[in-house]
Amino acid sequence: MSDFKESKLGDFESTVKDGAVDLLNKLEAGDFSGAIKIIQELSEARHKSFYYEVGTLTRSLHDAIKDFQIESIDDVIEVTTDEDNNSRITDASDRLTYVIEMTSSAANKTMDMVDSSVPVASELQTQAEALHKDWNRLIQRDLTPQEFRELYKRIDAFLGYTKNSANTLHGNLNTILLEQGYQDLTGQVIARVNELIRDVEEKLVHLVAVAGRVDSISGFEHEITEKERDENRGHGPAVNTENNPEVLNSQDEVDDLLSSLGF
Amino acid sequence: MKILIVDDFSTMRRIIKNLLRDLGFTNTVEADDGTTALPILQTGTIDFLVTDWNMPGMTGIELLRAVRADDKLKTIPVLMVTAEAKRDQIITAAQAGVNGYVVKPFTAVALKEKIEKIFERIDSAK
Repeated sequence: MSDFKESKLGDFESTVKDGAVDLLNKLEAGDFSGAIKIIQELSEARHKSFYYEVGTLTRSLHDAIKDFQIESIDDVIEVTTDEDNNSRITDASDRLTYVIEMTSSAANKTMDMVDSSVPVASELQTQAEALHKDWNRLIQRDLTPQEFRELYKRIDAFLGYTKNSANTLHGNLNTILLEQGYQDLTGQVIARVNELIRDVEEKLVHLVAVAGRVDSISGFEHEITEKERDENRGHGPAVNTENNPEVLNSQDEVDDLLSSLGF
Repeated sequence: MKILIVDDFSTMRRIIKNLLRDLGFTNTVEADDGTTALPILQTGTIDFLVTDWNMPGMTGIELLRAVRADDKLKTIPVLMVTAEAKRDQIITAAQAGVNGYVVKPFTAVALKEKIEKIFERIDSAK
């Protein structure tokens, strides 16, 4: 279909070329009324091609809007409860919000588990160190009978505490493990949003191509203003760093750069 | 030693806070961007600033410049902990007077090393 459209524009171009030759011939032959007729024909051909291309652009735009179910402004303002009414763009945005929530919740739960495990591990370490010291004294037969009786009780208490602590740590580790399930869920969501972005890009490229044909017939020229980047804003985490010499790949490279600057 | 941690993600603030606690720095306060960090800095109670670069509102680099431009704050050591890893950005941060630069994702060892290095420099300058 797009070949057909391009051939339409090609037709117009060859009409203009042929017309120009005819026009020159007629003018040289002194046939002014014939020349004016050619000019009129050319103008008509331009109009026809123009309307044709505008029509194509409108249809493509309409298809794209329909495809992504982008609502009109009125629909956007109106709160829709029916999920099927959501556009794919709104849906993608909701999905990404879900990813943020999900990753944040998993990170926080994991850190909660770490926070509750650290004191348990510290207490085990403290108690084990104290016991180990007295245990060594026992081996060296350096304990009084009274101290031995106390050690006897302390070891019993420590074993009980160790058992409970191991259970707590085991439970915490399991929770941390399960929390990593976010990767699967968010991965799936991101894969779908990625698909949508590629889809949108493809459609946009098509629209730009069609709009370009309208511009070429109408003679419109667009001023392309490049959006200035605010360097203060930063770029976010760098991806594909290996192919970009401007991005440093590791802390070591950062340190090297800083030390070359006298840091 | 009171440390201000500035990052827009609460998760990252929590990670940094926990790592600092492991290093023995238990007195920390948090802010989520430069705009909320500045008033805390201006109370004059902060001894060390750890900041992200990319934040809504006032960014880390702007905060760094604001700190260096303020007579009362300009000597506060500033450590940047950020995902921004472009050569130009690191040079910009160095020129703005950053004391250390840690790129995310980072390790506990890297953070410790940079903080210790900053303190060593301060001590040797005294």
